[in-house]
Amino acid sequence: MSARGLVWIARARIRADRRGALLDAAAACAGAAALVFFLALGLGVSAAARHMFPAEARLVEVVPPAVSLGGLLGGGRLDDPAVARLGAIPGVSAAWPRLMLRVPVAAPQAPPGMASSWPPGMTLQIPVVGLAPGMVEKDVGAGQRFADPGPGATIPVLLSGRLLEVYDKTIAPAWSLPRLPPGVSLLGLEMPVRIGLSIVPGKQEREVHDGRVRLVGLSDRVPMYVMAIPLETARRLHADYGKDPWYSQVTLLARRPDDVPAVADAVRRMGFNVDESERAAAERVGAVVSVTTGALVFLAVVMCVLAALAIARSLSASVRGRAREIAILQALGATPSDVHRVVLLEGGMIGLAGGIAGTLLAIALSLAADRLALSTLPDFPFRPGTFFAFPPWLPALGLVAPALAAVLGALAPAAAAARIEPARTLG
Amino acid sequence: MISLAGVEKSFRDGAHQLPVLRGVDLEVGPGELVAIVGPSGSGKSTLLHVAGGLDRDYRGRISVDGKDLSSLPARELARLRNATIGFVFQAFNLLPGLSAVENVMLPGMLREAGGEPPGAVRSRAVDALIRVGLAGKAGAPPARLSGGERQRVAIARALFARPRVLLADEPTGNLDVTSGEEVIRLFAELAGGGMAVLVVTHEERVSRAAARVLQLREGRLDRLATQLGEFS
Repeated sequence: MSARGLVWIARARIRADRRGALLDAAAACAGAAALVFFLALGLGVSAAARHMFPAEARLVEVVPPAVSLGGLLGGGRLDDPAVARLGAIPGVSAAWPRLMLRVPVAAPQAPPGMASSWPPGMTLQIPVVGLAPGMVEKDVGAGQRFADPGPGATIPVLLSGRLLEVYDKTIAPAWSLPRLPPGVSLLGLEMPVRIGLSIVPGKQEREVHDGRVRLVGLSDRVPMYVMAIPLETARRLHADYGKDPWYSQVTLLARRPDDVPAVADAVRRMGFNVDESERAAAERVGAVVSVTTGALVFLAVVMCVLAALAIARSLSASVRGRAREIAILQALGATPSDVHRVVLLEGGMIGLAGGIAGTLLAIALSLAADRLALSTLPDFPFRPGTFFAFPPWLPALGLVAPALAAVLGALAPAAAAARIEPARTLG
Repeated sequence: MISLAGVEKSFRDGAHQLPVLRGVDLEVGPGELVAIVGPSGSGKSTLLHVAGGLDRDYRGRISVDGKDLSSLPARELARLRNATIGFVFQAFNLLPGLSAVENVMLPGMLREAGGEPPGAVRSRAVDALIRVGLAGKAGAPPARLSGGERQRVAIARALFARPRVLLADEPTGNLDVTSGEEVIRLFAELAGGGMAVLVVTHEERVSRAAARVLQLREGRLDRLATQLGEFS
């Protein structure tokens, strides 16, 4: 039988038993809707969690050991030779040292134009880290430069984009301050600072210099509550103030995420520690999301299986009840194989119809859920614009999975239909 | 056109075999209307099923349009049923979910790839309905047709593929006198046009139209009478 004939006859059979087909399609629709809705929710929440807890899969954070035997075992201080050794580990494509500035830096007044947001007399102590420019080069704004400007010049700085999100969603509403414009428009903003000044008694340096900083970019590689300056600037300030030159941390960039475990092992063998706190937090959140999504998807798969069983049961009943019709088809020229394919196609068409309806229902439900959530939840930091994600493969899965489940459910009834003996049935 | 030689068929009843056909020989040529009569349970329908390739569990030799049924693969046999043989049943056997014209279209839609497009199939189905006098009932479901109309739809379906052989099992059994005579007249016309028509019946009015009447008794065919039917 031609494909056209198969479809025509399968459609005719479905039309003949509209009520049964509708019930089967409803079961498939429920399975597809649950599958697409829960998967989209899991993917959406995962994306939101990744935005909230960014952890780059290729980064390995190296810190000095808590107790060091120094040079005896080749571990201990993170100096330039150590950075070179770390950079030479197989699988490492870059090694970027960080230097936590041990010279205090404070801002005694607001940036120009923001005085109204600055409480009178407030001095803001700012933690500062020196970063290798290569680590953040992609985040430096167009026309801006992140390099040591030399003594007395305005220092280029980077802030965490996430800090601005926290300010906008938490600090600004709490203090009734104006929200910031989108991050990129803040580039070029300058602020006076005092280098060597500390609000902590006994921590202030003997010499305090006036300076200025200028925002040249926003980067997720900058810790949230820290201001990043060029590494060379930090080293120069440490030399000026007589501080140790050892790096506080080295960030290694693995060539591939798969290389990370081996790189981390090599780092530990060299006597250093690997700081996995950020990665562990991200992984914990990811694990919670994955487990929850997995449970919901399992539930959806169970619903698909139940839909397949319902279709199997319904088609079996249909084949039994309509054996005579099948025998007539055979008398008119259908082979047992044609009959088999007609019943499978019937199941597939019902499953596909249920899948289309279920996928559309899931999209509609997700829009409604988003609307409800966004209108009732407070505007917390990193709140996503949507809790659902629909990559192109997901609607396709919503169509294919119930159709496939229905075809699987139709296998036994189709085999039973193909076994019908026309002479015995028509006799 | 239809040839049966030494055909035997039995059914299993527990441990026993019940013979139904015991060496049946039959020849139906083109343009011939042959009636087989016999009491209920004598095996008339069984004979029709084996002759039409619906039942392959028999011994002996059956050929239709020169093709030996026992040697045909399932697909070829289905093709023969689709294109060469037309079936008409006592119970009409129309598909209740399809309209009259869709029922007639079925053989065309069961054709293998490369057949006519659905539009052409529908057009020919409508022509077949016109031929049996049901032009105005094309869209009606079987439930809304009378017994005579249903049987005419079934005949239109059997004639759709322009078969060379027509096998009819008690075609007038569920019809009133007028409808039954219309059907018999149609069969006689078809035989007159060169079709081989084999009718199984227990009604005398059908056998009167047949060129030959054979009686199936105790699994064997006996020539009962030879006559020109009143319609032929």
